Amino acid sequence: MDLDTSLRVSASGLKAQARRMRVIAENLANADSVASTAGGDPYRRKVASFRADVDRATGATGVKVQAIDTDKTAFARSYQPGNPAADATGYVLTPNVNSLVEAADMKAAQRSYEANLNAIEAAKGLTMRTIDLLK
Amino acid sequence: MSIGALDAMTAYGRALGVGAEQGIGGLGENAAAATPKGAGGFGTMVESLVGTTAAALRTAESAGVKQVAGKGDLIDVVTAMGAAETALDTVVAVRDRMVSAYSEIMRLQI
Repeated sequence: MDLDTSLRVSASGLKAQARRMRVIAENLANADSVASTAGGDPYRRKVASFRADVDRATGATGVKVQAIDTDKTAFARSYQPGNPAADATGYVLTPNVNSLVEAADMKAAQRSYEANLNAIEAAKGLTMRTIDLLK
Repeated sequence: MSIGALDAMTAYGRALGVGAEQGIGGLGENAAAATPKGAGGFGTMVESLVGTTAAALRTAESAGVKQVAGKGDLIDVVTAMGAAETALDTVVAVRDRMVSAYSEIMRLQI
């Protein structure tokens, strides 16, 4: 049934956005994670990318997290000679996480999740009202 | 009243899947003779509906148990519960409709 399928598609959207939220949470949590060795690389920001996923049984196109890639932008450098992660010149590489970007990304994920929730609610309501016709 | 009974018989026959082949005449025959075939048809239909619903409920329950144990996905639980709820509501609505159609036939004036 199409309404049933649309529920499943929306559920795939929920899952994908939940995964994206997880990645954003990881980025925010590790915004200050430096290298464990002197002069090493700190935490590198992760980015979730999605792709359309066709369900062969129903022909419906859901969404799937394609990959969790790393952000290739350069790390920031700050002069902290006392830091255990500092290199020979006293500079520490800090993660390429920008909390403003993460906040905006989080808002987008939140809105998308809510949109999928609304779609589920609508499809469920329509199904229930159709069943009510029998009563 | 008689139109209601006719409607009920048509609905009953359609649900049994015999309406298309036998038409109203065949149905009348069925209802008048109260053949075991008709009773079996209704019983089989209810049985299969209940079976499907039970399977959906079981899936929902196992998803819920997994979630409580910390191994499942909340979204899976919600969708499984939704599917089970829809299946149960459908079977209840169909049963109510069938039973009311059946009692309509029983009240039929001969």
